[in-house]
Amino acid sequence: MAFDSVSASEGGVRAVSGPAGRVRSEACVRYEPEWPPLTVATATAITVPAELAELDRVAEFVLRLGGQAGLADSALYRLRLAADELATNIVMHGYRDIPGGRVSVAGGIEADRVWVRFVDDAPAFDPRQGMRAPDRDMPLEQREIGGLGVYLAFTSVDTFDYELVAGRNVSTLTMRRSSAAGVQDSAPAQEQRRRTP
Amino acid sequence: MSFDVRLRINDKVASIELKGELDASTAGRFHDVIDEAAQLGAIELVIRAENLTYLASAGLRSLVVARQKMGDEVRIAVVGAAEPVARTIRLAGFDHSIDLVDA
Repeated sequence: MAFDSVSASEGGVRAVSGPAGRVRSEACVRYEPEWPPLTVATATAITVPAELAELDRVAEFVLRLGGQAGLADSALYRLRLAADELATNIVMHGYRDIPGGRVSVAGGIEADRVWVRFVDDAPAFDPRQGMRAPDRDMPLEQREIGGLGVYLAFTSVDTFDYELVAGRNVSTLTMRRSSAAGVQDSAPAQEQRRRTP
Repeated sequence: MSFDVRLRINDKVASIELKGELDASTAGRFHDVIDEAAQLGAIELVIRAENLTYLASAGLRSLVVARQKMGDEVRIAVVGAAEPVARTIRLAGFDHSIDLVDA
Protein backbone atom coordinates (compact mmCIF):
# COMPACT_ATOMS: atom_id res chain seq x y z
CA MET A 1 0.00 0.00 0.00
CA ALA A 2 1.49 3.30 -1.01
CA PHE A 3 1.45 6.04 1.53
CA ASP A 4 0.80 8.86 -0.86
CA SER A 5 -2.77 7.81 -1.41
CA VAL A 6 -5.69 6.08 0.18
CA SER A 7 -7.30 3.34 -1.75
CA ALA A 8 -11.07 3.49 -1.97
CA SER A 9 -11.06 -0.24 -1.42
CA GLU A 10 -9.63 0.34 2.02
CA GLY A 11 -12.80 2.35 2.56
CA GLY A 12 -14.42 3.84 5.57
CA VAL A 13 -11.94 6.66 5.99
CA ARG A 14 -13.74 9.05 8.25
CA ALA A 15 -10.97 11.10 9.67
CA VAL A 16 -8.08 12.40 7.66
CA SER A 17 -6.54 15.70 8.60
CA GLY A 18 -3.46 17.09 10.23
CA PRO A 19 -3.06 16.65 13.98
CA ALA A 20 -4.27 20.15 14.56
CA GLY A 21 -7.38 19.45 12.55
CA ARG A 22 -10.54 17.82 13.67
CA VAL A 23 -12.62 15.07 12.28
CA ARG A 24 -14.95 16.80 9.94
CA SER A 25 -18.31 15.24 10.54
CA GLU A 26 -20.14 12.05 11.17
CA ALA A 27 -20.60 11.59 7.47
CA CYS A 28 -18.07 9.36 5.81
CA VAL A 29 -15.43 11.53 4.15
CA ARG A 30 -13.29 10.02 1.43
CA TYR A 31 -9.74 11.07 0.79
CA GLU A 32 -10.03 12.77 -2.55
CA PRO A 33 -7.60 14.69 -4.73
CA GLU A 34 -9.12 18.06 -3.83
CA TRP A 35 -8.65 17.41 -0.11
CA PRO A 36 -6.29 20.04 1.30
CA PRO A 37 -2.85 18.47 1.27
CA LEU A 38 -0.82 18.07 4.41
CA THR A 39 2.12 20.38 4.68
CA VAL A 40 4.63 17.64 4.23
CA ALA A 41 4.57 14.06 3.16
CA THR A 42 1.65 11.78 3.41
CA ALA A 43 -1.57 10.64 4.98
CA THR A 44 -3.22 7.27 4.76
CA ALA A 45 -5.81 5.14 6.52
CA ILE A 46 -7.25 1.68 6.94
CA THR A 47 -10.43 0.38 8.49
CA VAL A 48 -10.43 -3.00 10.22
CA PRO A 49 -12.97 -5.13 12.09
CA ALA A 50 -12.72 -4.69 15.86
CA GLU A 51 -11.13 -8.10 16.44
CA LEU A 52 -7.88 -9.16 18.09
CA ALA A 53 -6.88 -10.97 14.94
CA GLU A 54 -6.75 -7.60 13.19
CA LEU A 55 -4.12 -6.15 15.53
CA ASP A 56 -1.44 -7.32 13.15
CA ARG A 57 -2.82 -5.10 10.40
CA VAL A 58 -2.80 -2.12 12.72
CA ALA A 59 0.79 -2.88 13.71
CA GLU A 60 1.87 -3.24 10.11
CA PHE A 61 0.20 0.05 9.26
CA VAL A 62 1.92 1.91 12.08
CA LEU A 63 5.32 0.31 11.52
CA ARG A 64 5.22 1.20 7.85
CA LEU A 65 4.15 4.75 8.59
CA GLY A 66 6.80 5.27 11.25
CA GLY A 67 9.40 3.65 9.03
CA GLN A 68 8.60 6.07 6.23
CA ALA A 69 8.91 8.91 8.73
CA GLY A 70 12.40 7.76 9.61
CA LEU A 71 11.72 7.16 13.29
CA ALA A 72 14.54 5.52 15.17
CA ASP A 73 13.94 1.93 16.23
CA SER A 74 13.17 2.90 19.82
CA ALA A 75 10.65 5.56 18.83
CA LEU A 76 9.09 3.28 16.26
CA TYR A 77 8.70 0.53 18.85
CA ARG A 78 7.04 2.94 21.28
CA LEU A 79 4.65 4.30 18.65
CA ARG A 80 3.68 0.77 17.69
CA LEU A 81 3.24 -0.17 21.36
CA ALA A 82 0.98 2.82 22.00
CA ALA A 83 -1.11 2.13 18.90
CA ASP A 84 -1.35 -1.56 19.73
CA GLU A 85 -2.48 -0.90 23.29
CA LEU A 86 -5.04 1.63 22.13
CA ALA A 87 -6.39 -0.70 19.46
CA THR A 88 -6.53 -3.56 21.97
CA ASN A 89 -8.43 -1.33 24.38
CA ILE A 90 -10.99 -0.45 21.71
CA VAL A 91 -11.48 -4.10 20.78
CA MET A 92 -11.51 -5.57 24.29
CA HIS A 93 -13.35 -2.84 26.16
CA GLY A 94 -14.89 -0.34 23.76
CA TYR A 95 -16.68 -2.91 21.66
CA ARG A 96 -17.15 -5.48 24.41
CA ASP A 97 -20.46 -7.26 23.77
CA ILE A 98 -21.00 -5.17 20.63
CA PRO A 99 -20.49 -7.37 17.56
CA GLY A 100 -19.57 -6.04 14.17
CA GLY A 101 -17.63 -2.99 15.32
CA ARG A 102 -15.00 -1.40 13.15
CA VAL A 103 -11.97 0.76 13.84
CA SER A 104 -10.57 3.35 11.46
CA VAL A 105 -6.87 4.05 11.74
CA ALA A 106 -5.46 7.07 9.96
CA GLY A 107 -1.91 8.24 9.97
CA GLY A 108 0.20 11.02 8.61
CA ILE A 109 3.71 12.33 8.45
CA GLU A 110 4.44 16.00 8.87
CA ALA A 111 7.63 17.95 9.08
CA ASP A 112 8.02 17.56 12.80
CA ARG A 113 5.82 14.64 13.77
CA VAL A 114 4.07 11.43 12.92
CA TRP A 115 0.47 10.98 14.01
CA VAL A 116 -1.87 8.02 14.23
CA ARG A 117 -5.57 8.55 14.80
CA PHE A 118 -8.14 5.96 15.85
CA VAL A 119 -11.86 6.49 15.27
CA ASP A 120 -14.45 4.08 16.60
CA ASP A 121 -18.19 3.96 17.22
CA ALA A 122 -18.04 2.22 20.59
CA PRO A 123 -19.73 3.94 23.55
CA ALA A 124 -18.08 7.25 24.36
CA PHE A 125 -15.04 6.77 26.55
CA ASP A 126 -11.79 8.63 27.01
CA PRO A 127 -9.24 5.80 27.27
CA ARG A 128 -6.98 8.00 29.37
CA GLN A 129 -9.56 7.84 32.16
CA GLY A 130 -8.93 4.13 32.44
CA MET A 131 -5.21 4.61 32.84
CA ARG A 132 -3.63 3.43 36.02
CA ALA A 133 0.02 3.84 36.87
CA PRO A 134 1.51 0.68 38.35
CA ASP A 135 1.79 0.51 42.11
CA ARG A 136 5.40 -0.51 42.38
CA ASP A 137 5.18 -1.14 46.10
CA MET A 138 2.39 -3.67 45.70
CA PRO A 139 3.48 -7.32 45.36
CA LEU A 140 3.03 -8.42 41.77
CA GLU A 141 0.49 -11.09 42.61
CA GLN A 142 -1.73 -8.47 44.25
CA ARG A 143 -1.52 -5.93 41.48
CA GLU A 144 -4.56 -4.46 39.81
CA ILE A 145 -3.48 -4.74 36.21
CA GLY A 146 -6.42 -3.01 34.56
CA GLY A 147 -5.36 0.19 32.86
CA LEU A 148 -1.78 -0.94 32.40
CA GLY A 149 -2.02 -0.99 28.62
CA VAL A 150 -3.25 2.58 28.43
CA TYR A 151 -0.51 3.59 30.85
CA LEU A 152 2.09 2.06 28.54
CA ALA A 153 0.54 3.88 25.59
CA PHE A 154 0.39 7.15 27.46
CA THR A 155 4.02 7.01 28.48
CA SER A 156 5.32 5.84 25.13
CA VAL A 157 4.33 8.69 22.82
CA ASP A 158 4.77 12.44 22.91
CA THR A 159 1.05 13.25 23.00
CA PHE A 160 -2.11 11.20 23.48
CA ASP A 161 -5.26 13.21 22.79
CA TYR A 162 -8.91 12.26 22.87
CA GLU A 163 -12.04 13.93 21.54
CA LEU A 164 -15.64 12.87 21.21
CA VAL A 165 -16.64 14.04 17.74
CA ALA A 166 -20.17 13.55 16.44
CA GLY A 167 -20.59 10.64 18.81
CA ARG A 168 -17.37 8.96 17.78
CA ASN A 169 -14.31 8.30 19.88
CA VAL A 170 -11.29 9.95 18.30
CA SER A 171 -7.90 9.26 19.86
CA THR A 172 -4.72 10.67 18.37
CA LEU A 173 -1.16 9.65 19.14
CA THR A 174 1.76 11.73 18.00
CA MET A 175 5.48 11.13 18.03
CA ARG A 176 7.94 13.88 17.29
CA ARG A 177 10.17 13.05 14.39
CA SER A 178 12.99 14.51 16.46
CA SER A 179 12.51 11.36 18.48
CA ALA A 180 14.42 9.76 15.67
CA ALA A 181 17.45 11.44 17.14
CA GLY A 182 16.78 9.63 20.39
CA VAL A 183 14.88 11.18 23.27
CA GLN A 184 14.97 9.99 26.84
CA ASP A 185 12.34 7.36 27.45
CA SER A 186 10.87 9.35 30.27
CA ALA A 187 10.50 12.56 28.27
CA PRO A 188 7.16 11.78 26.63
CA ALA A 189 5.52 10.84 29.90
CA GLN A 190 6.83 13.89 31.68
CA GLU A 191 5.60 16.18 28.95
CA GLN A 192 2.21 14.53 28.78
CA ARG A 193 1.70 14.73 32.52
CA ARG A 194 2.17 18.45 32.26
CA ARG A 195 -0.26 18.74 29.38
CA THR A 196 -3.08 16.60 30.68
CA PRO A 197 -5.22 17.65 33.63
CA MET B 1 3.31 -11.38 13.04
CA SER B 2 4.60 -14.67 14.39
CA PHE B 3 4.83 -16.00 17.90
CA ASP B 4 6.13 -19.26 19.28
CA VAL B 5 6.45 -20.55 22.84
CA ARG B 6 8.21 -23.69 24.02
CA LEU B 7 8.38 -25.24 27.47
CA ARG B 8 11.12 -27.43 28.87
CA ILE B 9 11.26 -28.80 32.41
CA ASN B 10 14.50 -29.99 33.97
CA ASP B 11 14.80 -30.76 37.68
CA LYS B 12 11.71 -28.69 38.47
CA VAL B 13 13.16 -25.71 36.63
CA ALA B 14 10.78 -24.65 33.91
CA SER B 15 12.29 -22.89 30.92
CA ILE B 16 9.92 -21.10 28.58
CA GLU B 17 11.39 -19.85 25.34
CA LEU B 18 9.51 -17.00 23.67
CA LYS B 19 9.98 -16.10 20.04
CA GLY B 20 8.31 -13.35 18.04
CA GLU B 21 5.62 -10.96 19.17
CA LEU B 22 3.65 -11.31 22.39
CA ASP B 23 0.45 -9.27 22.29
CA ALA B 24 -3.24 -9.65 23.05
CA SER B 25 -3.74 -12.03 20.14
CA THR B 26 -0.92 -14.39 21.19
CA ALA B 27 -0.80 -14.08 24.99
CA GLY B 28 -3.27 -16.94 25.44
CA ARG B 29 -0.63 -19.43 24.27
CA PHE B 30 1.91 -18.07 26.74
CA HIS B 31 -0.74 -18.26 29.41
CA ASP B 32 -1.41 -21.92 28.67
CA VAL B 33 2.27 -22.80 28.93
CA ILE B 34 2.55 -21.01 32.26
CA ASP B 35 -0.39 -23.07 33.48
CA GLU B 36 1.38 -26.22 32.38
CA ALA B 37 4.61 -25.25 34.15
CA ALA B 38 2.70 -24.50 37.36
CA GLN B 39 0.89 -27.82 37.21
CA LEU B 40 4.18 -29.66 36.77
CA GLY B 41 5.35 -28.21 40.08
CA ALA B 42 8.15 -26.02 38.81
CA ILE B 43 10.13 -24.33 41.56
CA GLU B 44 11.83 -21.87 39.22
CA LEU B 45 10.60 -20.29 36.02
CA VAL B 46 13.12 -19.03 33.49
CA ILE B 47 11.66 -17.12 30.58
CA ARG B 48 14.09 -16.97 27.68
CA ALA B 49 13.36 -13.70 25.90
CA GLU B 50 16.34 -13.36 23.58
CA ASN B 51 14.11 -13.82 20.57
CA LEU B 52 11.10 -11.94 21.89
CA THR B 53 10.79 -8.98 19.56
CA TYR B 54 7.69 -7.32 21.01
CA LEU B 55 5.89 -7.29 24.34
CA ALA B 56 2.51 -5.68 24.99
CA SER B 57 0.59 -5.38 28.26
CA ALA B 58 -1.20 -8.65 27.54
CA GLY B 59 2.14 -10.39 27.95
CA LEU B 60 2.76 -8.58 31.20
CA ARG B 61 -0.56 -9.88 32.48
CA SER B 62 0.71 -13.37 31.82
CA LEU B 63 3.66 -12.64 34.10
CA VAL B 64 1.26 -11.57 36.82
CA VAL B 65 -0.65 -14.80 36.34
CA ALA B 66 2.63 -16.71 36.56
CA ARG B 67 3.40 -15.07 39.89
CA GLN B 68 -0.11 -15.76 41.17
CA LYS B 69 -0.09 -19.40 40.14
CA MET B 70 3.44 -20.23 41.23
CA GLY B 71 3.56 -18.34 44.49
CA ASP B 72 6.08 -16.06 46.12
CA GLU B 73 8.68 -18.71 46.68
CA VAL B 74 9.16 -19.46 42.99
CA ARG B 75 11.85 -17.40 41.32
CA ILE B 76 10.78 -15.97 38.00
CA ALA B 77 13.48 -14.64 35.71
CA VAL B 78 13.31 -13.04 32.28
CA VAL B 79 16.60 -13.63 30.51
CA GLY B 80 18.09 -11.75 27.58
CA ALA B 81 15.27 -9.33 26.89
CA ALA B 82 16.04 -6.71 24.26
CA GLU B 83 16.06 -3.10 25.44
CA PRO B 84 12.49 -2.17 24.36
CA VAL B 85 11.07 -5.31 25.96
CA ALA B 86 13.03 -4.75 29.17
CA ARG B 87 11.90 -1.11 29.18
CA THR B 88 8.25 -2.21 29.09
CA ILE B 89 8.81 -4.59 32.00
CA ARG B 90 10.53 -1.87 34.02
CA LEU B 91 7.92 0.75 33.11
CA ALA B 92 5.25 -1.53 34.52
CA GLY B 93 7.30 -1.94 37.68
CA PHE B 94 7.49 -5.69 37.27
CA ASP B 95 11.24 -5.72 37.75
CA HIS B 96 10.61 -5.54 41.51
CA SER B 97 9.15 -9.03 41.49
CA ILE B 98 10.78 -10.58 38.46
CA ASP B 99 14.51 -10.82 37.88
CA LEU B 100 15.64 -9.22 34.65
CA VAL B 101 18.83 -11.02 33.67
CA ASP B 102 21.16 -9.90 30.88
CA ALA B 103 18.72 -7.20 29.87
